[in-house]
Amino acid sequence: MRYPEQFDVIVIGGGHAGTEAAAAAARMGVRTLLLTQNIETIGQMSCNPAIGGIGKSHLVAEIDALDGVMGRATDQAGIHFRVLNSSKGPAVRAIRAQADRALYRNAVRRILENQPGLKIFQQSVVDLLVEGDRVVGCKTQMGLDFYAPCVVLTTGTFLDGKIHIGDEQQPGGRAGDAPSSLLAQRLRALPFRVGRLKTGTPPRIDGRTVAFTELEQQPGDNPRPVMSSIGQRSEHPQQTECHITYTNDSTHQIIRENLHRSAMFSGAIEGVGPRYCPSIEDKVVRFADKTQHQIFIEPEGLTTTELYPNGISTSLPFDVQLAFVRTMRGFEQAHISRPGYAIEYDYFDPRDLTYSLQTKALEGLFFAGQINGTTGYEEAGAQGLLAGINAARKVQGESFWEPRRDEAYIGVLVDDLINLGTTEPYRMFTSRAEFRLRLRQDNADQRLTPLGVDMGLVGAQRRAHYEEKMGQLQALKLKFAGECVMPGSDLDGALELKLRKETTLLDALRRPEVTADRVAVALSIDTQNELAVNVLRQLEVETKYAGYIKRQDDEIAKIRRHEAMQIPAELDYSSIDGLSNELRQKLDQQRPESLARAARIQGMTPAALSILLIHAKKVASI
Amino acid sequence: MTQVLDQDLICAIATPPGQGGIGIVRLSGVGAKQVAETICERKLVARSAVYCQFVHGSEHLDDGIALWFPEPQSFTGEEVVELQGHGGPVVQQRIINALCGLGARLARPGEFSERAFHNGKLDLAQAEGVADLIASTSEAAARAALNTLRGDFSNKVNVLIEELTRLRVQVEAAIDFPDEEIEILEQAGVVNALGSLDKILTNIIASANQGRLLSNGVQVALIGAPNVGKSSLLNALAGEDAAIVTDIPGTTRDLLKIDLLVNNLPIRLIDTAGLRDSSDAVEQQGVARARAQIAQADIVLLVMAAPDLSVAAVSQQLADLKAEDQEEQFSSARVLVVVNKADLALPPDLPEEVNHITVSALTGAGIDQLKTKLHEFVGFADESTEFSARARHVDALKASADQVAAAQLALHDGLAAELVAEELALAQHYLGSITGDISADDLLGRIFSEFCIGK
Repeated sequence: MRYPEQFDVIVIGGGHAGTEAAAAAARMGVRTLLLTQNIETIGQMSCNPAIGGIGKSHLVAEIDALDGVMGRATDQAGIHFRVLNSSKGPAVRAIRAQADRALYRNAVRRILENQPGLKIFQQSVVDLLVEGDRVVGCKTQMGLDFYAPCVVLTTGTFLDGKIHIGDEQQPGGRAGDAPSSLLAQRLRALPFRVGRLKTGTPPRIDGRTVAFTELEQQPGDNPRPVMSSIGQRSEHPQQTECHITYTNDSTHQIIRENLHRSAMFSGAIEGVGPRYCPSIEDKVVRFADKTQHQIFIEPEGLTTTELYPNGISTSLPFDVQLAFVRTMRGFEQAHISRPGYAIEYDYFDPRDLTYSLQTKALEGLFFAGQINGTTGYEEAGAQGLLAGINAARKVQGESFWEPRRDEAYIGVLVDDLINLGTTEPYRMFTSRAEFRLRLRQDNADQRLTPLGVDMGLVGAQRRAHYEEKMGQLQALKLKFAGECVMPGSDLDGALELKLRKETTLLDALRRPEVTADRVAVALSIDTQNELAVNVLRQLEVETKYAGYIKRQDDEIAKIRRHEAMQIPAELDYSSIDGLSNELRQKLDQQRPESLARAARIQGMTPAALSILLIHAKKVASI
Repeated sequence: MTQVLDQDLICAIATPPGQGGIGIVRLSGVGAKQVAETICERKLVARSAVYCQFVHGSEHLDDGIALWFPEPQSFTGEEVVELQGHGGPVVQQRIINALCGLGARLARPGEFSERAFHNGKLDLAQAEGVADLIASTSEAAARAALNTLRGDFSNKVNVLIEELTRLRVQVEAAIDFPDEEIEILEQAGVVNALGSLDKILTNIIASANQGRLLSNGVQVALIGAPNVGKSSLLNALAGEDAAIVTDIPGTTRDLLKIDLLVNNLPIRLIDTAGLRDSSDAVEQQGVARARAQIAQADIVLLVMAAPDLSVAAVSQQLADLKAEDQEEQFSSARVLVVVNKADLALPPDLPEEVNHITVSALTGAGIDQLKTKLHEFVGFADESTEFSARARHVDALKASADQVAAAQLALHDGLAAELVAEELALAQHYLGSITGDISADDLLGRIFSEFCIGK
């Protein structure tokens, strides 16, 4: 049956990518449908109950700057907030929040259900509707056909998911949920390169059986940060503590003795797991000289006793899991409430995507999230947002939004994925961003909110907040540039400048030792006024980083010049002398649209780029 | 990120390599005139020949003519200055070094033509020719660069890159994984590591023969007992009467330095007074100077005469040389035994482990082989691009050293960790032009293999 209503954008999947995609498209005013297997699990955190972290909270800030879901939901569900890298500089400072799973789900669902223009329907999708080389909709399990010119696929680990516990395997998308095998089969028939990845989760523990008095406590930070730039501390639910325990010799002994029973070591798993998130058996083998590993004990929520022991993800059989968990301090009597498992799933080679996240093979079809080989809620959310925006822009007849590496972590993420592909689940790190000093959490709104306003993504509240911040920042800049500090004056003393001649406040702020905190005290700025403090910090960062930013700006100017150099799509690389075969192949496959993109191809040399440019100019002029 | 289409100031030797009557160094890009006027210490006039001395600091480099072509009426369409001086790679390289010191950089192969094309100075028919030129010259340059990456230099660069990578692994791990229980270098450790990097860099730039090779050429010391024919050998290599040749022992009392070009390799040949004990005060002085020169030389040619030569005598001479080299400033691998006067007697068979060659300075027999051997000694292939390949390496090392110094300063000033990291990333970026870039993923791979990361 054909569903009677026509949509503009259909989003398949209600995870972190799907919810951002659906919400973004709907915010932009196009008719949007979210299809999910289960409405109850919309916004579900399938892995650890935390949002943010270094590189990741940067992504959340960018989503937030475009008025996305994740930051706001985190403030409504966060039960433990910390600032990471507080001793380092602002570019790498990040926020991490433990979230109550149920509260987080509710918050996401509430945001979606209050989003005008967005409809939600619960039904498993079994096929895409394709006409020629473009997608026109999708078919659900009960034979219902939904039509829309753009479809965003965000199926996470559900495509042909297989769960491993020891030597036992069962199909599954997440413990307790069925995989999307029919859709996987159907997609495998389309011209996409498919690979297999794996990830794992630890066994969950019943908190009533843990001796917390034996564990190290890890309280949240005071003052408590907020995740969203329009978030309020008053939104935060009750706060709780995390704990830390350690593995020991006995733990490692048990794991070593049972290695042959681990799905990963027996060869039952073909997918590649992430290097930065190894299973406990992997850690014990690879770092054999370590006598203990740190395990973070994270609460699953305020209304449950379940705990998430971060650091012992495993595919060992249940009896081994139980044995080694009970060797850890405080866990001697522990009861496992859910076994840990490894999950293997299909992903599509992201090199088959364009910068908009539209697939090269099927017009109107977009992929976002784990389906593209990434891991993490934040990475998924960022892609979902981008795919949702571009699906809507396509419907609106606008050009795609393709953020560059110097504009946003989202740009770094997509650029890495579609150019380099990935061989392990891709996770964001700040070291991936060569323009890290510009891509800060504190200026995400300055980088993206105006763009979001232009694209119709940003609501009135955020817009007003942003304009207020920029107004204050501008006023503060003028004040600092104009106001002089006299040697021996009270201000000189308060700022500890020891001036010999008069200097502007702005120049004083350039000094490494003159921090925003010191200035706030000296100028009697109300530290309870968060906006005022943020604006002062912003000015501090901009002033102190100015030299570095200028250097990066020069670099970026060059890249933009290259961007203006378009390469004709019909350029015949095989006829160009002076390119290595390897390079010729890569160029032929990736068909970069501009010189800047060609420059990103691995193994590209300045000489090859020059040759390319000359031929591009020649073809263009004929 | 690979770059093209820069508009920055580039320079290169425009005339063919080798010893010629006139050598032209060309400058193109923003600031060409200003930089040239600094070198010439005179105001330039558009499209007029201005006679001047080329001066760098207090050093007089050459005399010649400077020609300024304002943009767009120039070969490249940019502001161009030509410095026409005397030929010879050593002099020209000094001018290039001076220009680079003032902010220019060495042009890539074909870069002048490429800019000319982009500025509409070459038509489309010529475009493909330019592309071919770039392709072929860059290949030659790549080969040359590879050639220079052999032996001692290569080892040192590899050590440098490894040290820098190790430090970056620490700094980046500290930034991206502060919550992990990993043993990261403390501030003092980073300071030490930066100090050690600085030392390695200074050492490579200053002491490796690459640096001197560029400014002075390869230093070759001629030593040997009096009357074994050192001076005639010098003449045979130089191809002209450069030193006094006589049969009276000890004639060459003072050091004789001659710059010459051996198959494109610039060499500074130092003819020493014969190494022998003498009561003559002047001669003693000469001997002392000779020893100092031996200690500093890149290559020592130990000249011996074939008549009455025995294997034992050669071994004894080598042993003496080693004994005198108390500061161990040169390795014995840099000593080449030249058995001269082969026209008079058949020399004995020397063991293979002794670097040696048999020549006759009088007849010229074996001189070509000696020249080839000199090239081999410094890893210098007979290709004109070699010279600039080396210059590029030194440029990259210097740029890298500047970033390491900036990182030290940032650390000293207590700046944020990511700023120190930024300088280090740039330092590595410059080195990347020698050995290829290390990608973010390579670095992360190192972090994951060295530290147990993972929650």
